[in-house]
Amino acid sequence: MRNGWRMVIVMILAVAMTAVFAASSPAQEKKPIVVGFIHSMSGAMSMYGISSEAGGKIAIEEINAAGGVLGRPFKMITRDDKLNPEVGLREAKDLLLSEKADFLTGTISSAVALAISNYVKREKKLFIVTISQSSSITEENFHRYVFRINTNAVPYWGYAPAIALAKTKKAKKIISLGFDYETGKNSLKGFKEKYLQLVPDAKIIDELWAPLGTTDFTAYITKIANSGADAFFLACIYGGGELAFTKQAYAFGLYDKMYAIQPCAGDVETWSGVKKGEPYPKGALATARYPFWAIKGARNEAFVDKHLKMTGFWPSYGAMNQYVTMYAMKAAIEKAGGVDTEKIIDALEGMILDTFVGKIPIRAYDHQAMMPNWYGIIDFTQKLTFPHLIAAGVIGEEGYHTVDQIKKLRGK
Amino acid sequence: MTLEAFTGQALSGISVGMVLFLVAAGLSIIFGTLKVLNLAHGTIYMVGGFLCYLLTSKLVQIPGAFWWTLFIAPVAVAAIGGVIEVLLLRRIYAQEMLYQYILTFALILIIGDACKFFFGVSYKTVAVPWPVNGNVSLWGLSFPLYNLFLIGCGIFVFLALSALIRYTSLGRIVRAVTHNREMASALGINVPRVYTGVFMLGSYLAGLAGTLMPPMSVVALGSDMAVIIECFIIVVIGGLGSLPGAFLGAIILGLLNAFGIYIIPKLALAFPFMLMIVILIIRPWGLLGKPE
Repeated sequence: MRNGWRMVIVMILAVAMTAVFAASSPAQEKKPIVVGFIHSMSGAMSMYGISSEAGGKIAIEEINAAGGVLGRPFKMITRDDKLNPEVGLREAKDLLLSEKADFLTGTISSAVALAISNYVKREKKLFIVTISQSSSITEENFHRYVFRINTNAVPYWGYAPAIALAKTKKAKKIISLGFDYETGKNSLKGFKEKYLQLVPDAKIIDELWAPLGTTDFTAYITKIANSGADAFFLACIYGGGELAFTKQAYAFGLYDKMYAIQPCAGDVETWSGVKKGEPYPKGALATARYPFWAIKGARNEAFVDKHLKMTGFWPSYGAMNQYVTMYAMKAAIEKAGGVDTEKIIDALEGMILDTFVGKIPIRAYDHQAMMPNWYGIIDFTQKLTFPHLIAAGVIGEEGYHTVDQIKKLRGK
Repeated sequence: MTLEAFTGQALSGISVGMVLFLVAAGLSIIFGTLKVLNLAHGTIYMVGGFLCYLLTSKLVQIPGAFWWTLFIAPVAVAAIGGVIEVLLLRRIYAQEMLYQYILTFALILIIGDACKFFFGVSYKTVAVPWPVNGNVSLWGLSFPLYNLFLIGCGIFVFLALSALIRYTSLGRIVRAVTHNREMASALGINVPRVYTGVFMLGSYLAGLAGTLMPPMSVVALGSDMAVIIECFIIVVIGGLGSLPGAFLGAIILGLLNAFGIYIIPKLALAFPFMLMIVILIIRPWGLLGKPE
């Protein structure tokens, strides 16, 4: 019983102290606009979290230094979702209820993003997805309160590589290798759908599937080498798996033997550690969501410098998205004349974002920003120490599902 | 199927299998003597990979850094294994199997997080060492020398271990303890010490495989789980506790995978599991195991 009493006293004290602090805080003239930032800040994906947070901070410093938004400063509060939907949801609730966040942004895990999306739908608060790739967030599970300023799985994993291949090599006999799970299967499905429509006489001669987490692809590589295909497509082989595959394929001389379509080979986060002389996806056709070295303009260069200073590593696409998102919100709040969620949504729908990667429309139908995907060949140049995409072109809205396709998906 | 394709699939299957054999042999030897199914065995393999990366990058100025690493890292892993056996496993031999699983599963999480803490989350690679870099031409097929080196390592370790167990007095002691612990103890054999030694030997083999892997692959968190599952398949096929069984099981798994991928790629992933089920039905103690 004594413990029970102690607990009650502590609770009363706690409540009393919060009240005192709340009362004593000086009445601020300019109340900040609070941005809730939920991301994976620890664990295997934390590089993206740290990078995205830096992107947001850079934008906020710039905006606040220039007088803020309608005279009010932005204030970003960071929370770690630990890649766990329950944790993410709890943090989202806390940000909206305790921190009085005006809107939420984030996160890399699609499961977390969907959980937060469902929550803001009930709360009628705005959530802008800035890095998760799951297309269902803006397609099947779409609602008024969710936006995405980021590419999604449809262009990145499937359509953009297909369009890029159709514009360049037009390979006829393709063999695919993918990680055996949902995103892998969807990746090949999307690639096939788009590529066979653009190059009707092409054929996927075989589909190979490796268990997620495979790091020894030797038997797959000898199969690919002897398959008679003129190109191979990696469906969602990324990160450590892609590095391992590349090392082994390089040892077998596969890149000299046939054409590689390796979408993720443009990801700086995977390849920045690889130096000249080491195995790399030689001459592979790749796509990239933010090849900062290929983008011209002082704003982009300044952004890369600031990110490098803040974090010590190159900016990921998540950093660029978060930066663009902060400016998009500034524009929307100014257009809406305040932080009223409904008015901001109306302002964002159909808005054309003026970013350092180009003019990007937010499609009103699915709240998806038509973020570009660059494509090109992977090689070394004087510019950077790691193998990178030598950009040949940009794929914009044509890489996304059309409104009609999405209508069909939602109709099911 | 051309000769070139056949050779390619056969050699790549065996080279994948040989690395798995080293891991599975350790798992099997430990089970045979200690009657402990060490779920964290794959994690110990992963530690070998991280040590390989650490040592090759620290010793980078010394010529032959990888070969020094190949000598040092597995010994270090064996020492870690010794500490685990003495401090933790020894306390639960008398308990039910369930406690072993809980303890060794906890080790997966603890060691995995420790690796994350010390080495970070980025992918690490190690260059293929001289003189086993480069390729050889076999029947018109260009095959990396390193994969052939792996096959050689697997066969060498198999022969050396078999000889050790069969012909040395140390091997005789291990066999005696495996056969009947109480009797061995009564004859004056220090059984706890044999247990520690065997656990260290098993860990050494996992560490050896972990050290051999990075030059052809990457060191990544999570690689432990992929390996341990394949090791379970191998020991079920070959017979848990049997060294020749692990060797045979590893070759079968490697070849089944490689030719499955070649012939029916869409079903290739299922073949090893199908074989495992068939063996569990008709010969539950494995091809070369002994019925209890």
